[in-house]
Amino acid sequence: MKIVVCLKQVPAKDAPLKLDAATGWIREDVSFEVNEPDAFALETALKLKEAHGGEVVALTVGPARAAQVLREALAKGADRAVHVEGAEAHKLDAYAVAEAITRALAGESFDLLLTGLQSDDGGYGQTGVIVAELLGAPHATIIMSVEPAGAGRVKVKRELESGNFQFAEMPTPAVLSIQSGISKLRYATLMGIKQAKNKPLAQMKLEDLGVTPGLNRQAIHRLFVPVKAKGTTLIPGTPKEQAAALVEHLRNSAHVI
Amino acid sequence: MIVVITERKLTAPGKFNPASLEAVAAGQQLGKQAGLPVAAVVLEASASGLAGELGKYQLERVLHAVHPALGAYSPEVWVQALVQVLTPLAPKYVLLPHTYQVRDFAPQLATRMGSGLISDVIGFAAAEGEPRFLRPMFQGKFTAETGFAGGGAPGFVTLQIGAFRADQAAAGTAPVAAVAVTPTAPRVEAGEVFQEAKQAVDLTQAPIIVSVGRGIKEPKNLELVRELAQALGAELAASRPICDAGWLPMDRQIGSSGQTVAPKLYLAVGISGAIQHLVGMKGSRTIVAINKDPEAPIFEVADYGIVGNLFEVVPALTAALQAALKAGS
Amino acid sequence: MAEHPQLEAEVVIVGAGPAGLACALKLARLIDGHNERHPAKAISKENIYLLEKGRALGAHQLSGAVMDPRGLAELEPDFARDPELGAIPVHDDALLVMTAEHAVPSPLTPPPFHNHGNYIVSLNRLAQWLGAKVEAAGINVFTSFAGRELLMDGTRVVGVRTEDKGVGRDGEPKSNFEPGYDLKSPIVVLAEGPRGSLARQLLGRLGLAGANPQIYTLGVKEVWELTAGRFPAGRVYHTLGWPLSNDLYGGGWIYGLENNRISIGLMTALEYRDPATDPHNLFQKFKTHPFMRRLLEGGEMLRYGAKTTAIGGWFSIPPHAGEGWMLLGDTAGFVNSQRLKGIHLAIKSGLLAAEAVYAQLAGRGRIEDYPAKVAASWMKGELWAVRNFHQGFEHGLLAGMAHAALQQATGGRGLHARYPAEAGHERMRTITELGPRPELVPADGKLTFDKVTDVFHSGTRHEEDQPCHLLIADTDICNQRCTFEYGNPCQSFCPAHVYEMVFDDAGAKQIHLNPSNCVHCKTCDIMDPYQIITWVPPEGGGGPSYEGM
Repeated sequence: MKIVVCLKQVPAKDAPLKLDAATGWIREDVSFEVNEPDAFALETALKLKEAHGGEVVALTVGPARAAQVLREALAKGADRAVHVEGAEAHKLDAYAVAEAITRALAGESFDLLLTGLQSDDGGYGQTGVIVAELLGAPHATIIMSVEPAGAGRVKVKRELESGNFQFAEMPTPAVLSIQSGISKLRYATLMGIKQAKNKPLAQMKLEDLGVTPGLNRQAIHRLFVPVKAKGTTLIPGTPKEQAAALVEHLRNSAHVI
Repeated sequence: MIVVITERKLTAPGKFNPASLEAVAAGQQLGKQAGLPVAAVVLEASASGLAGELGKYQLERVLHAVHPALGAYSPEVWVQALVQVLTPLAPKYVLLPHTYQVRDFAPQLATRMGSGLISDVIGFAAAEGEPRFLRPMFQGKFTAETGFAGGGAPGFVTLQIGAFRADQAAAGTAPVAAVAVTPTAPRVEAGEVFQEAKQAVDLTQAPIIVSVGRGIKEPKNLELVRELAQALGAELAASRPICDAGWLPMDRQIGSSGQTVAPKLYLAVGISGAIQHLVGMKGSRTIVAINKDPEAPIFEVADYGIVGNLFEVVPALTAALQAALKAGS
Repeated sequence: MAEHPQLEAEVVIVGAGPAGLACALKLARLIDGHNERHPAKAISKENIYLLEKGRALGAHQLSGAVMDPRGLAELEPDFARDPELGAIPVHDDALLVMTAEHAVPSPLTPPPFHNHGNYIVSLNRLAQWLGAKVEAAGINVFTSFAGRELLMDGTRVVGVRTEDKGVGRDGEPKSNFEPGYDLKSPIVVLAEGPRGSLARQLLGRLGLAGANPQIYTLGVKEVWELTAGRFPAGRVYHTLGWPLSNDLYGGGWIYGLENNRISIGLMTALEYRDPATDPHNLFQKFKTHPFMRRLLEGGEMLRYGAKTTAIGGWFSIPPHAGEGWMLLGDTAGFVNSQRLKGIHLAIKSGLLAAEAVYAQLAGRGRIEDYPAKVAASWMKGELWAVRNFHQGFEHGLLAGMAHAALQQATGGRGLHARYPAEAGHERMRTITELGPRPELVPADGKLTFDKVTDVFHSGTRHEEDQPCHLLIADTDICNQRCTFEYGNPCQSFCPAHVYEMVFDDAGAKQIHLNPSNCVHCKTCDIMDPYQIITWVPPEGGGGPSYEGM
């Protein structure tokens, strides 16, 4: 099976993020890492390759520093990597990124394209589905497991809401977004890191693919730190009185029960 | 025009997923702000009471599409059907609740109609005479004021569950109009929906969370808090020390090294509010804190605070809730 | 557990700080030069491993820092012109003597505090800058890999074992378990920074030490962004006095960085008598001084960190090479305790070590020649002149200054050939011997912060489900003896709130650890009065993320 895995480099999960007043975006002086949901997509791809043979291609759309997520993917066992590079990649919306991915893969055939559910920074959760539409390929999201189901077909287990699940089969090429936490993420080994240096890493430029923020279908006008508008209502009295007052507030003011 | 796409409950097709009514309320709010009429759409395999139910809300009309293929959900079928419903309406905005199902097809629908999708919206704003859509970014650390670009219409918007209140959907009367759709067979063959106990708890989907911290002192006191959670129909969660000590499994941990949640109600019981915990929950709609220390940082983010002994307050609250919910239902 | 995969290596360098990186870069260049001259006898760089436990280059690197350019200039003569490194020449420096109310510039700046000719650098950035050159020079840097154990054959070091990954809190392998590698190597270079864990193993096993015990300071640092124009880039202030009392050795600093940012911090020597001494809180107190308060008004704290440095000086330096091993930089104790500068010495030790390693690889020498190279270089000259400096302060600040003046006049000798010293943890007094407890400065969340909030701003993260990396030999000592003798000073000296005494079911005090908060400073390993805490590296990749520090 030939599997393309789309990975995004995002600010580290615990990084204390601050806004840069000058650019209106977040300050870049934080550490970056692979978007954790995408790491689960990579893990799924590597497990499929281990079980059924084939090739895993890691792809990212991002600035120069994003090559790090590709090197890590190669160190974990991916065979090839593609870096669609652009200093302004963070200005692209999900649609423009999907265009970049689709154009970068033009002329390549593959069986599966996997993404994580959403990115920890933008949190759009759309890129994979949009790629499916641009490719004219079937798709499914929140996938718990994947296996080949005969020539040119895969069988997946989808998670639906409230503890409901469903199996589905579809022809390939197909686009799947993988649920997080379905397995433990493997570590890159010392040997893997050494071998990664010799694996092909192709570079492409966003402008060469004709992808710019001009393709965006949405625009962020302003980024701000959410401030709590109302103050804290401290509820006085005995525990019984406090409980009664709180239930009142929750029911009639906050309308949460 | 604004069109609201409703969704049926997965395992009870004759009922709405309650988020749909939140979307109707949101649509009405946006409609008032933008001076646009609001319509709603029902897709089903055979007519139930749903379209009629929607007809009791203040809407310009209800569009009712009935087709055998609209029984079991399929993104390909949904997208085809909705393109057929929406195209003649040429709406300015299309609103959908941010459900599992919508996340699966809405990006495709928007792209097919030449437009974009602003997802997980928590509120509306206005700038330069146009509505703007507020959505969380960086796991709720920031809010983005977003608008549509590139000239595509309609603009698709998904609404965060619980961000709008279903009970604020204004009542009225709306005519129900039948709409014909002709979807083709999907390439994805989906099987039966079945139930399975989930391995890990997904706190990010819980509408109400009761979270417990160091103040609980001992694992046996968790029972107290469990009863409170039950009374509220809430999921149980905890701050790091509780999970570290093994009193609750790690998938119940909220905070920078656990899950980040934004439920409509977050009850912090005996949690001091260290920044590592706050970053995991301060986006919650309503926060209640119960702590014996009036200086505890949790009170800075709480909407309602009870300074007191949780061993007395929690049982009192459980009793008050049980009484109120029994009376109310 | 599973067997450890065996890998043959030619050189293993543990630690990608300034010493380890300088060694690797210099070694690569020496090898390249050799291969050009002797293509038939080419030496490969494939089997040279540089291990770094941090998630990325520079992640665990922290210092003030004002760097003496001497070391870096030998390796990279044009460093000052490279904006990627961003070294800021010092243009203005002063020593402020602080009392509770005032900060008075000292009319005479003592020579150690003259910094013209030096550069303000971010050690984190220096590591990234050098690291990029090391990788470009063809040496593999393996981040997220820790040296967990030395492989020894009798008294010979024969390699390094990296840590097991994917072990659960219960000690059982998880589904993604990867055993550590046994990197078999005839040359192991330890550049682990202060109180290196492998160095500790090595010196312990071989019974080696300096003539004096090593002494450490703990530096607690924050980087702030100020309102414009408050403190220019290139200005260096050091402070003495408040909030440190006469018997507490240490001092504060304020360094002007680019873009209205400043590096501020307080160093406290880890040899204090009062077990309740809390270096983190002393730093918070420092910020409440009227001068500091005015400076920081309207500003925002961006990042926090803490790290120790070895300041025992020449006589605390242990043997630093032996059969198969070498010690570099802070691990050896190469720090000028008078000027509190070590980066240039770390780099120089790396260069000299590289020469010795190359000589051995080329069959023209042995790594055991390294100490002689150090002794023949400017390193020895510099360290010898201040060999008794720190020990002169055994009896307080004023006495220390008198000794320092005397040493200055006698080429470093002072009153004795070698001033005796006690290990820092041995100077701690029991709580019964001391008077009332000091008041801690409360955290206001704007100017002062509690440890947990500060740790959040260090970007510290660890895999939660792993065994605790702070090994306490006998927790009964913590719970029963230490509670009564020293009042559990771990709660005070740890700048990251790793150690807590909590009440158990029976109402007795029990030690509780939060290993995920650990910023890898090593203070606990150094200062615990019973010496029952051993710091070992947690799973690689964990720890702080010191961007810009």
